[in-house]
Formats: sequence, C-alpha cells, structure tokens
Amino acid sequence: MKTRITKTLLDSWNYLFDCAEGQEDNAREEFLTTLKREQTPPNEAQQAGLDFEHLVMEIAEGRFRPEFVTDGTVNSVSGEVMGYDRYPKYYAGAKQIADIVRGGQWQVHVDTDVEVDGRTFWLHGFCDVIKAGVIYDVKFKTKSFNNLDLWHSYSHSSQHCAYLRCVPEAYEFVYLVSDGESLYTEAYDRRNSEPIENIIRNFMNWLKGEPELLQIYEERWVVDG
Amino acid sequence: MIQEGYKLDFSNQTFGVILYGQPGVGKTTLAMSDGNNGADTLLIDLEHGVGRTNPLHRMNCKVLTASNYQEVKKDLETKEAREAKNIVIDTAGALVEYLKQWAMDTQPGAKDRNGNWNGLKGFGIVKTEMDSFVNLIKTVMNKNVIFIFHADEKVDRDGNPIQRLRCEGSFRNTVWTGIDFGALIQRQGGKRYANFIPDDDNPAKGCHGIEGKIEIPDLNAGAQNNFLAWLFDTARANMQKENDAVADVIKGYNKIMEDVKNMVEGVTDADSANACLKAIGNMDHVLTSKKEAGMILTNKAKTLGLTYKKATNSYVAGDAK
Repeated sequence: MKTRITKTLLDSWNYLFDCAEGQEDNAREEFLTTLKREQTPPNEAQQAGLDFEHLVMEIAEGRFRPEFVTDGTVNSVSGEVMGYDRYPKYYAGAKQIADIVRGGQWQVHVDTDVEVDGRTFWLHGFCDVIKAGVIYDVKFKTKSFNNLDLWHSYSHSSQHCAYLRCVPEAYEFVYLVSDGESLYTEAYDRRNSEPIENIIRNFMNWLKGEPELLQIYEERWVVDG
Repeated sequence: MIQEGYKLDFSNQTFGVILYGQPGVGKTTLAMSDGNNGADTLLIDLEHGVGRTNPLHRMNCKVLTASNYQEVKKDLETKEAREAKNIVIDTAGALVEYLKQWAMDTQPGAKDRNGNWNGLKGFGIVKTEMDSFVNLIKTVMNKNVIFIFHADEKVDRDGNPIQRLRCEGSFRNTVWTGIDFGALIQRQGGKRYANFIPDDDNPAKGCHGIEGKIEIPDLNAGAQNNFLAWLFDTARANMQKENDAVADVIKGYNKIMEDVKNMVEGVTDADSANACLKAIGNMDHVLTSKKEAGMILTNKAKTLGLTYKKATNSYVAGDAK
C-alpha cells in the first residue's frame, strides 16, 4: 500500500512534542484534524500569512500598485486629481522578500516516492518559490520580532527536509521570515537537514503505538490506484 | 558598472562578522586581529572595554569613544574611519542602547505620552537607524564590519544551556541576514576556538569554506594577532574558486531560462504548448531549471485555457475530454 505524506502532516505531528506548555490539547486537536484531512478555514494567523505571501508575489511580479487616495483637490492646470499613494502596512517587509525571490517560480508542486522500511510513501507538496537551485519559503509572523528569539526556529521542521528530498536539483532551502518590517533568514542544505526517511520512520513508529490513528492514516492517506 | 555574475572579482570583497562569547574570552582582541597590530581597524568602543586588552595588540588600532550615537556617526566621517579596513562595533548590544537614547532625544515617536520609552514604536525607529548605520559601514564605506556581542546564556525547555546574542530588540535576529560569518568564541582545555557550527544551542554561521570549530592562535605563545586577516583572505580565495567552479553552471542556467521564456512566449494553443513541453523535456537542464520551466509553461497554458493530461503528458484545449 502506498500512502501520501506531507510536511503539513509531519509538522503537525511534530508539534505534539514541540508545542508550548499548556498547548498540548490544541496540538492534539490540530494533528487529528490534519490526520483526518478535514478542511478548515484558515485561522487569523494563517490568513495573515496568506495575505502577506500574496503581497510578496504581487511585488515580485511587478503587479503591485499602491492604492491612490485622493486628497479632494484637482490640479487647476492639468485637471489631474491630486492625492497620494497608500501602501499596505507590511509593504516594507514584503518588498525585502520580493527582492530576493523576484524571477523565481511560485507554488511549484513537487513530489517523489520515498521508501521507508519496505513501505512506499508519496511525499509531495508545494514550494513557495524555486529559483536557480534554491527553494524559498515565505513565513509571516504577526508578532514583532522585538520580543522573539528566532534562532533556529525551523531546525525541527520537516519542511526543508521534505522539499530538499523532492527537488534533488536544489542545493539549498531558505526560510524568509518577516514580521512585516524586518527580515530574518534561516538556510538549510542537505548537510544540516535530517533525512526525511528518518522523520517518516519516527512518525510511523509512533503511529504504530496508536492503532486507531494508524488506521485513520492508512484509510485517508492511501494513494488511489 | 554592470558585470556578469560569473566574472566577478572577489579580491576586495568585504564581510560581516559576528563574534560573541562570555566576558574575558578575548572577543575584542580577536576583533582587532587584522594582522597589522590593529592598524587596519577602527574600534567603536561603546563599553569602554578596550583597556582590558593587551596594549601590544591594540597599539596601532584607532579607538572611537563617544558619549552618544550622534558622536559615533560624526566620527565615522573622519579620516581615520575612512582609512580603516575593519570597523568593529563593541558591542552591538551597547549600540542599541546608544540608539535608544538617540531615539528618545531626537525622535518624538520613541516616547509615549508620559515621556517614557515607547518600546513598540521606539524599537522600530532604532531598527531603521541601525539598518542605515550598518549599511553606511558595509555598503557606502565598503568596510568589513565586525559585531561583538556578549553571550546570553539561557536554558532550553529541557534545562540544557544554550547561548544567544545579548541585544535588545529585533537586531539579534535580523543581524544574521547580512552576515557572512558568526562564531561563538569559547575556551576549552586551555585553548580558544571560534565555533562556526550552527545548531539549536549556539547561533553561528560559516560559509566560503570557513566552517567547523577553528582554533584561535595563542597570542601568549607569540602568535601574531591575525585571525580575522586569515579568515578574510581565505574566504576571498574560496569565493573566487567557488565562483570559477560554478561559472559554467550559472551561464547554462541563465541560457536555459532565457530560451524557455522565449519558447513559452510563442505558445498560442495546445499544439504549440505540446511542442514546447517536448522541447523542455529534451533540454539539458541545470539546477532547478526543469521545475521552473515546467511552471512557466503551466502558467502560460492556464492563461490559454489549456488543460494538462497526465496520462498522455500533453495539453488539450480546456473543454476537451
């Protein structure tokens, strides 16, 4: 039996162990929702992330136009309506990222088969941007960086491990993290990324200890045909 | 002057460096290790710590002391600052403190209605000025910039000690973006090391062949204080080698992407899309050009209302079954 596997599932599983104290129930609920492949509307933070990513894409592709706000006057000579350009709140942060990813391809579907302990997993997902051998992932934080310690925030994420496996031609994966104003980057290559096989193996071993969850996984993540 | 990326000359490349560690481990001395007894270095001594270094190692170094940020910035216009190759900020945490005071004194938005520090807006102002200051040194003045940080020893959730950069505001995070090298300076078994290995416990960054844990020459045993000079020279030589080695790869990638864009531009219907798909499949791809080319064609096909059929690996008009 071949089953699907995604970084979202692996990260939601990982969050069971990495979540902040007091968040265990939420983490479990979130993992179950992902495992059951239930569709839920994006929460506020997720929506903010999507909006930010959209803004980055618009700027990178040269489609962004600031909103023109008229001040109610008209140039008496040219007849031109006067006013000013209004930029979105997070424009500065989005532009920093757009300048890096400009020219790259967005939302590239990537996949590969991974063999782990005699089972085949179809690992797949969407890379935010691929450009010249580098995979970029845009992250948005609704909290200002001021009070955060971001160092190695993504070292336990399965995302770079998964996508570097899916795109063997890529030599680096870079998280581009913004709070709408500042940019923090974190880069991984194959030398400092856990092989995805190890992560999948740990996940499956854990699932085997939770037979009901294993059954859900095998039913809902099976690859048709 | 515009140059092809693969033809660049790195012999005058400048770098950004972070050195951090516990007090007394020799960060300031290391920051002055320009191989010229400090003659190529301007030390912005914001914590008045240069007096703790060995006079032999700082004898030729220019030391900038100031009572406020405005003085620091003004002194960067002097001949001494212009002539220095390396500018050391000792410490970056102290510079943020100077900037906070500058913001309080000169920027109305940095204060709340009671005249106290307004952290949210204030740190935004500090960040903007810090970026401008670093840009002035790195880009406008074209200097190597060396940031010294104190190490902040914390514990992770399992109670294990971890090191972080001591600095208020977002700079401790954002500083890594424009930095080439970052090392924890540590003493082990009577020796000193610059640890460039990044992990969850210790922030660090290495590149251009500067990696791992590198022993720092023992100055008490008569070694020359030239660690940074060696690091910069080695990195420049490695950059040139790396660039020469990938020149053909970059040229090949650029050529393919240009060809793909031209081909895709000519796609007008399912037939031309399929011809383009076939041509892309037959190209000798470089780096991620195949994935990117596929995506460019996919996007064009969408605009033409074409549908991709996996079974036949071909495009058909949108309404075709």
